[in-house]
Parts: sequence; C-alpha cells; structure tokens
Amino acid sequence: MILEFLNMGGYGLYIWLSYAFATFSLIFLYYVSVKKLNSIKNIEHLYQAEKATEVSVSQEANRF
Amino acid sequence: MFGIFKPRTFFNLANNSIFWLKTIFVLTLIVGLILALVLSPIDYLQKDTVRIMYVHVPSSWIALFIFLIIGVSSFVSLIFKIRVFSVYAKSLAPIGLVFSLISIVTGSLWGYPTWGTFWTWDGRLTSMFILVISYILYVSLWSLIKNYNLAEKITNIIGIVGLINIPIIKFSVVWWNTLHQPASITLTAAPTIHSSMLAPLLIMFFCFCILSLIIFLIRYKYEIINFRVNKK
Repeated sequence: MILEFLNMGGYGLYIWLSYAFATFSLIFLYYVSVKKLNSIKNIEHLYQAEKATEVSVSQEANRF
Repeated sequence: MFGIFKPRTFFNLANNSIFWLKTIFVLTLIVGLILALVLSPIDYLQKDTVRIMYVHVPSSWIALFIFLIIGVSSFVSLIFKIRVFSVYAKSLAPIGLVFSLISIVTGSLWGYPTWGTFWTWDGRLTSMFILVISYILYVSLWSLIKNYNLAEKITNIIGIVGLINIPIIKFSVVWWNTLHQPASITLTAAPTIHSSMLAPLLIMFFCFCILSLIIFLIRYKYEIINFRVNKK
C-alpha cells in the first residue's frame, strides 16, 4: 500500500521531485533569511537605542 | 492611515506575530499536504500528475503577486522618494525569485508526462522565464552595487519595467496558442475546477502566503536594522 502511494499511478518520480524541490528551496530560503538576521542580532541594540532616544526626545518636546 | 507602512509598525508586527504565523503555517501545511497528496481525486486525463498543481499553481500566483508589489513599491519609491517601499521590495524579491523557480521547475516536471516535453518556448513559459530573469537581475544588482542610492534607483527601474511582463504572463494563454492550459480560476468568473481540487489548491496557496509573510518579516527586519545601522 505504501509502495502504491509512493508510485502515484506511475508518476511518482515527477510528483515527488516537484514536492522535494519546493520543500528544499523554501527551507533553504528560510534558513538563509534567519541566518542573515542572526548575523546582525548583535547590533540590533543600536536600533533599539535609537528608538529609545527618539521617544525620550519627543517626550521632552511635548513638555514645552 | 499610512502608519501601517512605518518601519516600526512592521518591526513590532514581526516580533509579535512570528510565533502565531508559524503555528498557522504548520497546521495549514499538514492539512494541505494530506488533501493534495492523499484525499484529492485524480484527474480523468492527467491522472495523478494533477497533484503537482497544488505546488505549481500557488507558487506561480505568489511569484506574480510579489513582482506586482515590487513594481508598485518601486514606482512609489522612485517617484515619491519614500524609501521604505524600496526596502519592502528588496525584502520580497528573494521570496518571489524562489517561488518563480519552483513554478518553472514543477511546471517542467508536470509538463513532461502530460505534454511530452520538459520545456517549450511558447508564450506562457517564455514570459515566466523572463520573470525569473527579472527577479535574478533585481536580486543580484542589490548585492553587486555597493552604493545604496544607485542600487535603489536601478532596481526601482527594473521593478517598474518588469511590471510590463505581469499582464503578458496572465494573458499569454489567451493571446497566443500555447501548450499551457487556460486559467481555471479567474477573478471575474466562477472557477472551472471541481471543489475537491479547489479546496487543497486554496489551502496550499494560503499556506505559501503565510510562509512568504514569515520570511518577508524576517528579511524586512534584517533590512531595516542593516539600513539604520549603516546610515549612521
């Protein structure tokens, strides 16, 4: 029964190759994207610091 | 109204929603794959090869839709000088490239058992090939040109010029005689596909949309941090 499912009426090779290509391409894209983001995680605090400065400046401005 | 386009809104969205998006993605993927590979019926003519449709068609739709967004974003960025739109486009481009490659490869693998050939230079296939080339050009120019402003300008032009290809892809099966079948699902008419095949197709499309959104949020976060830090 499993072999019958894998065979897909004789078209298994084309079907499984299609699904495998899609799976590996999308996993690769996700992996590369996460890796890229992780590579700059150590400088994320600079962006957060900039946000904090902007907020404090705008609060100061609102007082006057 | 335009608050949603602010980088900070997207930055917060990326931080808060990734977990839920991943959960929805896994659930829809499981349901979609069971429907596509096990429960959906075989086609009377194409037999089991119709199961390739559940990967091929959603990938093609997403590849086209992403380039449409890239084109519009490039236009807004170039004309109105709103830089965040070019960051959107830059973050989306690799996703569109991968989906367009999936569309081409799965289409070829579907074509061989049904048409008897992996590839032919007809209207639909050639216009899809041009889309892949546009994506490759767009993505590689961002990496090759080190001057940010110049890269932004050139890629914006590619995005706008590439936009011309989108209606050509869409209507290629109407304008020219091609091996490719006409669209079974359109916005203006009822689908000509049976609901037992339409359901897995739409679920897989939704699943791929969620995955695209997850990867976009990750890439967008990277691009924003990178842009802000390098700007200093």
